[in-house]
Formats: sequence, C-alpha cells, structure tokens
Amino acid sequence: MSKIIETKINPTLSNNIESVKKKRKKVNVKPYVYLLPAVILLGIWMYRPLLTTFQLAFYQWSLVPGTTPVPVGWENFLRLFANKDFGISIYNTIFYTIGLLPFSIVIPILLAVATHNMKGRMKNVYRALFFIPLILAPVSVGAIWRWLFHPSNGLVNITLLDLGIIDQNIAFFSDPIFAKWLILFITGWKMIGFSTIMFSSALTGINRDYYEAVSLDGASRFQTFKDITLPLLSPMIMFMITMSILFSSQWTFAYIDILTSGGPFGTSTNIYYEMYKHGFTNLDVGLSSAAAILFFIVFSLITLGLNQMTKKFAFNDN
Amino acid sequence: MSRFKSMISLVMFIAILLFISACNMMPSEESTSNSAAEEETDQQELGTLDPENPTSVTFYSYSLSYPTMKPGMEKLISDFNSTVGKEKGVIVEGVPDPSFQQNKADIAAGKQVDIVQHVFSSLDASRLTLGFKAYEDVFPQDELEEHFVGISENALELGKIDGKMYGLAFTFSTPIVFINGDLFEQAGLDPNDPPTTWEEIKEYSLQIKNTTGKDGFGLPPANGWTTDGILFSNGANILSEDRSEAVFATKETFEALSVWKDIYQNGGHAIGTRTDMTEQFMAGELGMYITSTALHSGFINASKAGGWELYGVGLPQFGDQPSVPVNSGSVLAVRPDTPEKNAAVWEFIKYVTGDEGYTTITSEIGYLPLRTGLADDPAYLKDFVDANPLYRINLEQLERIRPATIWPGNHATESTTIFTDAIVKSITTDADVEETMTEAENAINHLLQ
Repeated sequence: MSKIIETKINPTLSNNIESVKKKRKKVNVKPYVYLLPAVILLGIWMYRPLLTTFQLAFYQWSLVPGTTPVPVGWENFLRLFANKDFGISIYNTIFYTIGLLPFSIVIPILLAVATHNMKGRMKNVYRALFFIPLILAPVSVGAIWRWLFHPSNGLVNITLLDLGIIDQNIAFFSDPIFAKWLILFITGWKMIGFSTIMFSSALTGINRDYYEAVSLDGASRFQTFKDITLPLLSPMIMFMITMSILFSSQWTFAYIDILTSGGPFGTSTNIYYEMYKHGFTNLDVGLSSAAAILFFIVFSLITLGLNQMTKKFAFNDN
Repeated sequence: MSRFKSMISLVMFIAILLFISACNMMPSEESTSNSAAEEETDQQELGTLDPENPTSVTFYSYSLSYPTMKPGMEKLISDFNSTVGKEKGVIVEGVPDPSFQQNKADIAAGKQVDIVQHVFSSLDASRLTLGFKAYEDVFPQDELEEHFVGISENALELGKIDGKMYGLAFTFSTPIVFINGDLFEQAGLDPNDPPTTWEEIKEYSLQIKNTTGKDGFGLPPANGWTTDGILFSNGANILSEDRSEAVFATKETFEALSVWKDIYQNGGHAIGTRTDMTEQFMAGELGMYITSTALHSGFINASKAGGWELYGVGLPQFGDQPSVPVNSGSVLAVRPDTPEKNAAVWEFIKYVTGDEGYTTITSEIGYLPLRTGLADDPAYLKDFVDANPLYRINLEQLERIRPATIWPGNHATESTTIFTDAIVKSITTDADVEETMTEAENAINHLLQ
C-alpha cells in the first residue's frame, strides 16, 4: 500500500529507479554477446565432440557414412576391460606420466637457472639448442631415432659393439623393455625444450631485489636457489607438473606410432594410442569412445586435484 | 546478481549445445533410407561412358606407398589412362594407401573411394563395415564369366565370402627364401644347392654367422602372413572349417613354433621388425630372408647396386612333409555407387587383371601372374620368366598353396593382433610356446563367441 502511495506522490523518482534497472540489464547482457563467438567455437570444437563421444560409447559403429550405429548398452565397456592390451596401456600411461616428470621439471629448472645468469649471445645459443627438439616434426625425428637404433646398421649398436659393451646387436624397438624406455627418453628430450623456455621466462619475472638482498646477507648460491628461486618458481612448477601429466600421453603418442606401433606384443602402448587404434585402425568407434570416457574422467579428477594443490602450495609474489 | 549471471550463462550454454547438436549428431535418417532405396534398384546395370566427359575413379593402392612397388603400379595406372581409359572415358586416380589406413579414413570422411587394393585377412571385416559390394551385385554375370576365363579357379575362390565374390584376386605372391649368393660362397656354401628343410636353415644360418660374422637367416616374427604357411606346413590349422573358432593351439603349432624359436634364438638369426630385416637384406648384410616375392624387383636392384647375386628357394619344409605356402597380396574390392561408376570400375578391373595388366604386375612389380598361361606365352611373360628363374619357384608353389587366414567379421583386427602378438612373444622371448598360444586361442574364441 505504501509503495503505491509513494509512486503516486513521486512519479519521477520511480521512473528513475526503473531506468537504472533497465540500464543495468543492458550492461549485463553485453559481455555475453562478446563471449558468444568464442563460446560457439568452443562448443563446436570441444563440447559437441565431447557429448558425441559420451553417446557413441554406447553404440557399435564403424564411422562409415550411411551406416546406422547399433545401440549396445554397456557392452563396449565390458569389451574394453576384457581387451588384453587395456591393462598394460593403463600401466604404461602411468609409467610415461611419472617418467616424464624429471624431464619436465627437474632438468629444465637446472638448465634454466644455469643459463639465466649468462651474459651476451651464448645465453640465446644455449636456449636455442634446448628449444630445437620441440620444433622438429615428430615424424622426421622418429625416423632419425629409428636409424640410430637400427638393429643391424644403427650407430648405437655399432658403437656399443666397438666399445665391447655388448657382444650382439640389440633390436631396441622390438625389445619389450628398451622400447618403452626409449620412447620415454625421446619424449623427455623433446619435453626439456618446452619446459626450459617456460622456466626461463618465469625466472625473468622474479624481482632482482630479492637476490641483492640475500647476497648482502651472505647467502650461498645453493641457499639462494633453495630459498628464493624455488619458492618464487612454485606457480610455474605446479603449472608445468599439470601440463606434463596432461601432455605425457599425447606427446608419447607420435613416437609410439612411428617407432613401435605399440609393440612388441603391446608392451609400449598407452591409453591414447589404444584409443586411436580402436577408433581409426579397427574402425570401432564405440570401444574407442568408451576408452576416451574413462580417460576423460580420470584425467579430470587429476586436473581438479592438481588445481587444489596449486592453490595450496604455489606462492605468488604479487 | 551473480545468480542472475550464472542463469544467463547456463541458458546460453544449453542453447548453444542444442544448436550445435541439432546440426548433425549422428548420421541422419535420410542417408540410411537412401542406401535402402538403392538396394532395391537393379545395380548390375553398366552405365554408358562418354570419352568426351570422362568418369573419374579413385584407386587406393598400398603398392603405391612402397618404393619397391611404386613405379610398377604407377605404370599400370598411367598405361590404363592413356589407352583404354582414354578410349572409353575413364580416368583413374591412384591414391597411396600405406598400412591400409587411408581408404578407411577417407571412406569414414565420406570421400569418393571406388576401388581398394585390399588384403585378405580383413576383407570380411571391411565387407561388413566399409560398404564394399559383391561383384555379382554390381557387374553383369556374363561379363564376369567372360573375364574369368584363364584365371585359375583357386585364385577366384580366394576373395569369396559366403559364396559371393567381395574381391577379385589381384596382386599375388608366395613367400620364398631369398638368398645372398656372395655370403653363401663366403661361408663355403653353394647357393645353387639351397636349404629345403628347417634343419638345414638352422645349420646354414649358423655356418654363415660363424664364418662371415653376418646374420645367416631372417624371418620377422610379426610378418603379417608367412606364419600361417609355416603352421600349415606342419599340419596345423588356424581357424576351423566354418571359420567360427580358432583351433591353432595344437601339437603341430607348438612343434613348428619351437623349431622357429630355436633358430631365432641360436644367434644366427637377424633381429628386429620386418622393415629392419628388409633393409638389412638389401644392404647385403643378411644371408637368407623369407619374404614375399613382391619385393623381388627391389632386391634385384639392391643386389646390382651392392654387387652381389640374388638366389632363391621355396618355403622350407618340416622333415619330409612338403611345405604349404600361403598367398600374400591383395584383392580388388569395389564400392561403385552409380551405373556409370560400375562401368568405369569394371573397365579398370578388366584391364589390370587382363593380359597387359598382369604382364606389368609381374615384370615391373614382382607379383605372380594369376593368368598362369602368360608365363609360357612369348608375347607376354615367357622371356621375363626365363630371365628370372625365381618366378618358377613361385609358380611351382602355387600348386601347394592354401589361402591365408581371413579372420571372421567384426573381430578381425582384434583377433589378428592377439594372434600376431602371441607369435612374437613365443618366438622372441622366453615365454612358454604352448602356454602363450593356448592363452591366445582362448582369448580369440572368447571374442568370436
């Protein structure tokens, strides 16, 4: 009742309030319009395939246009768990993920710190050297590694024979143990370049005043590294751990495909390569999607966990 | 306020999802009904071709992606285009198809894929999933019968599934033992008196290793198809008659694999993959190498360049049982979709599996002429076969041949993987042969049920 009276008494005031409300509404819609192009693109390239994958996991389909997917319920998941390479691919995915951490964190930090204080041109020369493996195409790099480790004509075998370390050639990529470790090593070699550049840029961002301050206090180089550099690098370290874990499956993929095709007898495959094999070699999209969904769930959980850890452990110098 | 914001974003998100999923989530109803309608019309009719307005046809060929076979296959295609193709109005475009993936990818992407050089082992799977058509359904019966005269009956049976021909045997070879004559002589062996049994293979390989220091013998554990022939040679079977279950875990298989394992692990055997061993043999670093005669032209060139002589002998036997080689090679699988396409595809198939086609295939690539009469015809291949006596070995083996295993339907690739992996594990590691193969058989039968 009182409201009506107020409006009646003071119409201009209520008009003002309404126009302010209208203005606010307009302002609120605008940012979403700006976002729209990006959201549509994300939707087409990310969310739609994601939804389709969830759907396809419950169908049997060969991807061929004109054929109709047959619904099979949970059958694809059962077949996946019964597949002889599924267990080993999970094990190898963990092996590659953990194995890559030294190459993505420890070695790059040391390299970045070592080259950080260099003066002049050599700094860039060294950084270029570390970075080159990253920009080389995996297919050609794979071919070069294959030649180096060739069982009868490869440089590695010839050198080891000459040095007397081995007395018989080794077929590195046909050996269940060597194949896995070499793929890890080659991927790591590539990862070092990427991480070193990331850490170098993070180091440039650290305020030099801290170093001057601790050097006045007489801190040794190791103490400086431990107490200043590492804590201030922590956001980048957490970021790189996340990247390393998420990238490890993708980056090993190219070398698995070129060097071993997952063999010998499935011992060097990972979940990513299995997904590709089911989907595009065997044209069994349902099985591939089932594997993709498991991969998606597990890696989402890992990412969430790492995000929490970043909030907890990373120290931001704002 | 913030609740209002998140409401807006949620609504927009859902709206966008609906919009994009409406675009095309699954293959539409329309395309399915189309293909159903097509089946009702009479497909055996050949359309009219117009030389002024040529029909283009794609030919996916794995031979185009191997350096040893590429020039020959290119010649075959260009010869067709410049003669019959020009006259009748067909242009064939060759597409390299390494490891048989390109045709699948392109079919899945909805591209035009008309003819595929297809391997035997996965033909049944492709028939079910990739829309290949039976010859009887797309080409007139009288044309087929007329063309098949002169092709051996055995060869015509190879691409048949459930009584219909889903592939016409095209390139065809058997495994033989290639021999590096120089290494043989250095080891004090006579390349004209080659080993014929597995015991001799073992003996010779050790002698070559001990005298020359180079590997004596090579047979890649993951060889795709030769293994089938080794098991058959010792009396084993891989699939049951009706192809409904795997039956390879038997005494004969274990025995054959143990002999091979013994040779593999005695130190005179080359190691590595098929590619590795081929490179090793071509470099003149390997005494004997079992592989398809399709590599013949490449090996001849390598031996000339390296200054050594190439010899050969048929697949070794166990004791006194004659060996049973399998065929490698391919069929032509087709998926034309209009009467004009039927006619164009049929012209190409008639040419490449005709007298001219097989002359090129044998002399330029190294596969066998399935029109075996050509080998004795002076107008075609007689001179070539006389100059290259290795082909006689191949032709002789044709009489004992057994088709390589065509794994059943939708589990073909999974079954092949299990089978090959078990072989590799049995041969190259300390794993127990009997246990490994029995496990593999159970796994495959579990799939096939």
